[in-house]
Amino acid sequence: MDQSRIRNLCIIAHIDHGKSTLTDRLLEFTGTVAKREMVEQVMDQMDLEREKGITIKAKAVRMLYRAHDGVEYELNLIDTPGHVDFTYEVSRALAACEGAILVVDATQGIEAQTLANLYLALEHNLTIIPVLNKIDLASARPDEVSDEMAKLLNAPNEQIIRASAKEGTGTEQILEAIVTQIPPPAANTALPLRALIFDSKYDAYKGVVAYVRVVDGELPRNQKLKLMSSGLEIDALEVGVFRPKMVAGESLSAGEVGYVATGLKSVRDIQVGDTITHAASAGAPAVEPLPGFRPAKPMVFAGFYPVETNDYPLLRDALDKLKLNDASLTYDPETSAALGFGFRCGFLGLLHLEIVQERLEREYDLNLIATAPSVEYHVLKTSGDLITVDNPAEMPDGAEIAEIEEPWMRIQVFTPKEYIGAVMDLVVARRGAFDKMEYLDEARVMLSYVMPLSELIVDFYDQLKSRTRGYASLDYTFADYRVSDLVRLNILVNEEAVDALSMIVHKDYAYARGAALCKKLKEVIPQQLFPVPIQAAIGGHIIARETIRAIRKDVLAKCYGGDITRKRKLLEKQKAGKKRMKRFGNVEIPQDAFMAVLKLGDEE
Amino acid sequence: MTSAHSWTLPLAPRDVTPAVALFVFIPFCKIKCTYCDFNAYANLSRAMMPYADAVAREIEIAGARHASPLPAKTIYFGGGTPSLVPVAHVEKILRACHRAFVVAGNAEITLEANPGTIDADKLRALRALGVNRLCIGVQAFDDAVLRRLNRGHTVADALETYDLARRAGFDNVNLDFIYGLPLQTLDDWRATLERACALAPEHLSLYALKVEGGTGLEHQIKRGKYPAPDDDVAADMNDLAEEMLGAAGYAQYEISNWARRVGARHASPLQSRHNLTYWRTEPYLGFGAGAHSCFGGERYWNVLSPLEYIQRAERGESAVAGSEPISRELEMAETMILGLRLNEGIAFDAFAARYGEDAREKYAAQLREVNALGLVEMSEECVRLTPRGRLLSNEVFWRLLP
Ligand SMILES: Nc1nc2c(ncn2[C@@H]2O[C@H](COP(=O)(O)OP(=O)(O)O)[C@@H](O)[C@H]2O)c(=O)[nH]1
Ligand code: SF4
Repeated sequence: MDQSRIRNLCIIAHIDHGKSTLTDRLLEFTGTVAKREMVEQVMDQMDLEREKGITIKAKAVRMLYRAHDGVEYELNLIDTPGHVDFTYEVSRALAACEGAILVVDATQGIEAQTLANLYLALEHNLTIIPVLNKIDLASARPDEVSDEMAKLLNAPNEQIIRASAKEGTGTEQILEAIVTQIPPPAANTALPLRALIFDSKYDAYKGVVAYVRVVDGELPRNQKLKLMSSGLEIDALEVGVFRPKMVAGESLSAGEVGYVATGLKSVRDIQVGDTITHAASAGAPAVEPLPGFRPAKPMVFAGFYPVETNDYPLLRDALDKLKLNDASLTYDPETSAALGFGFRCGFLGLLHLEIVQERLEREYDLNLIATAPSVEYHVLKTSGDLITVDNPAEMPDGAEIAEIEEPWMRIQVFTPKEYIGAVMDLVVARRGAFDKMEYLDEARVMLSYVMPLSELIVDFYDQLKSRTRGYASLDYTFADYRVSDLVRLNILVNEEAVDALSMIVHKDYAYARGAALCKKLKEVIPQQLFPVPIQAAIGGHIIARETIRAIRKDVLAKCYGGDITRKRKLLEKQKAGKKRMKRFGNVEIPQDAFMAVLKLGDEE
Repeated sequence: MTSAHSWTLPLAPRDVTPAVALFVFIPFCKIKCTYCDFNAYANLSRAMMPYADAVAREIEIAGARHASPLPAKTIYFGGGTPSLVPVAHVEKILRACHRAFVVAGNAEITLEANPGTIDADKLRALRALGVNRLCIGVQAFDDAVLRRLNRGHTVADALETYDLARRAGFDNVNLDFIYGLPLQTLDDWRATLERACALAPEHLSLYALKVEGGTGLEHQIKRGKYPAPDDDVAADMNDLAEEMLGAAGYAQYEISNWARRVGARHASPLQSRHNLTYWRTEPYLGFGAGAHSCFGGERYWNVLSPLEYIQRAERGESAVAGSEPISRELEMAETMILGLRLNEGIAFDAFAARYGEDAREKYAAQLREVNALGLVEMSEECVRLTPRGRLLSNEVFWRLLP
């Protein structure tokens, strides 16, 4: 297709503001998907995503639209992940576009991710088409929110399209805005091939499929290609476009969005953000890769262990399979004295962790113990060695440590102004430092802070929500590594250290956290047949202690009238319950205990 | 070890004719107690007559299933409140038992009675019909507690019923009690036990309260009207009972049951022979709504609803609602679990005679573990629960499940 008739765009929005619903309307209006085959929200395919109400993996679709000027345009809509854990993926999707539809819910107004995504889009010089959604709702405040958006974008109020994705209002106006306002790709077919990989997935028949935006040159099928960052050579077994199913074609040319089937076995080999060019044998390769590539880097780590030791190979196979389609998941075998054989897994963030854990349990029927999440520490030892530690149990002894650095994040909290104090208290209790406050309007502010990632992943979001009655929204990005005065807190259950329960805490908070954790563990570990002391220690020094009293009575009443079956069922249930716990010597510790650290609250 | 066919083994050794225990369930009550989740109903007295007819019919059909009538060693009327039922109905059911089974001359025939539901005439009439053991649901010698549980009778009623029973000629009387009740203190319990011992019944059953789902009591606790029962207090109450009853001349023979010692004999003849059937995994047949039977390697149970039970009988249909085969593995485990409830425990040679396997080997790992935990004690001959193990018996039992 003639480049001037191509428009590449994405939709950006805060969660639940209506991105998926609007996508459906666009697909429907352009006849890309007939209304009756429209299984609600086509682009959100994974069940889990649907349940969590977010889009995890970017996908793309090509739509044909005959505009009011009588010309038929090719619109490539690239879906972006809707969660801050996936900011890098979003940035790559944006890099493949010239424009973005910014959707804002008329009942909610601008929120943290509206802004974060908008700034990302502006960094990539995208043309923004502002859409005010959900105007059909009685609680909508269209004028107010429209003013907010106009101010933010420095655009006239009339430019903001009022829409109801639910009822289809404004759909055509949005399509017209796309063709008239978003520029066609300024691409040069004569240059050597450069195509940006903005997503990939594993297909059982085609192998790894790379989702690409061709920036320069021509990408024909059956050619030898090269990945510029890894140097890997691949074959373009098939090229094509999304309508929304994959439809094979002869080639993709500069400006177009489509896919390349590679026959590779693992998405690990195709990294999002990498640049595809010709292999030396097949033509002149490009000299410079496209900017912005960053290898996927996990930020949050947790140990996954099978409750049944025998399930270890199953867990390994399941991780292998998930990894096929998840380039940012990492895992390495590890052993814990307490939990046996398992894997230390790395994730982009907490949501990513939860999704992987749920899929392992649901799709692979594994009974898992996940340790509390941790971050990656940089540790300078007195010996001069610099090591990274992503498992608290592996933190060296205090005496061997010269200095520890931990990752800090820049966070933005949007909140109605009456909760400023509450948010401030929470952040300060989490070692956060105030940066600035900006008023968005009369009623709402944006608070910026820096705070350690380790504090952010421990129940911060839930706390924030509960302290602001659900009104606050949050966004964060990595800032830098900073030196902190950290210590390892060991937990002893029945006088024995349980390595999987140890945690890294700031020295000033060690006593409070240790006491809170002991108290929490006392609640979640069931009574045993003997008293069980629970202690928190730094080095050899005990700083907190609780005791779980011994159970004294566990007896069933009479087997009334010979109803032995019922009593046996109760015993079977009891036995099944025990099986789900992990035994340490004689003590049974339930799965929850390892997550107890996440539920300490912030009483201090 | 493999057991596709093995559950067809008789429950008792082949050379002994298996005398069965007969159980009759009576689902009627005057009012519903707050802790009760039994299959018992307070407003169903109009169904008593057809119910008795249905039970009599079920008994006759069960008896006719065997070429020569089976011997029966005990009959037990449990409920609900069997003492509410007119004597004529009890008589009808007993006659059916005699027609359908060979009821032993010395059979133990028990009936459960609640205070305030039975008078002197009825007691005498029941005694004359051959009922020779009475279980009185006293629950507590404490009017405040009885009111809280909605028992519908007072301490005075209980004392009167006991007295009437003695006068009617009942010389084998059991009193039922519950401990660990809401707001009940150790001293309250001591007072109840003192009065119980003073009456000198032949038998005492003491049950630790368990708050069952869906009961009024559970609701009250959830709403915060009463505190949830404290297991430590209940354990103290159990210890107190063991001490006091022992001193008063009773021997504990099961987790919840005590029989008065008779001479120097090891096992009191006043133990409940009917209930021993369950604990020894011997065959029993249950009649009435929701009643359970265990016979011929299978356990089966009747429909729960009394009205449906009656309808089925009237239509000539079987009352059985479900069944499960008892595999050899399962039967061995149940034999261990139920047998360990008895103070006599499991005798290794009897177990071996029955199953051809040594329980010490079969359950070696489990026994070693619970022995180390101080829950059982082992000798050359047998294994049994320790006093501590009796209160923590589930910790032993679940480990023995296949
Ligand atoms: N009333 C109304 N509801 C809408 C509209 N657009 C989306 N929704 C609803 O808002 C919720 C979130 O929409 P969704 O498209 O899943 O949001 P996403 O998270 O941005 O993809 C869903 O329940 C939609 O049905 C609209 O214009 N009007
Ligand atoms: S008398 Fe017994 S069966 Fe009837 S309601 Fe009370 S506890 Fe339940």
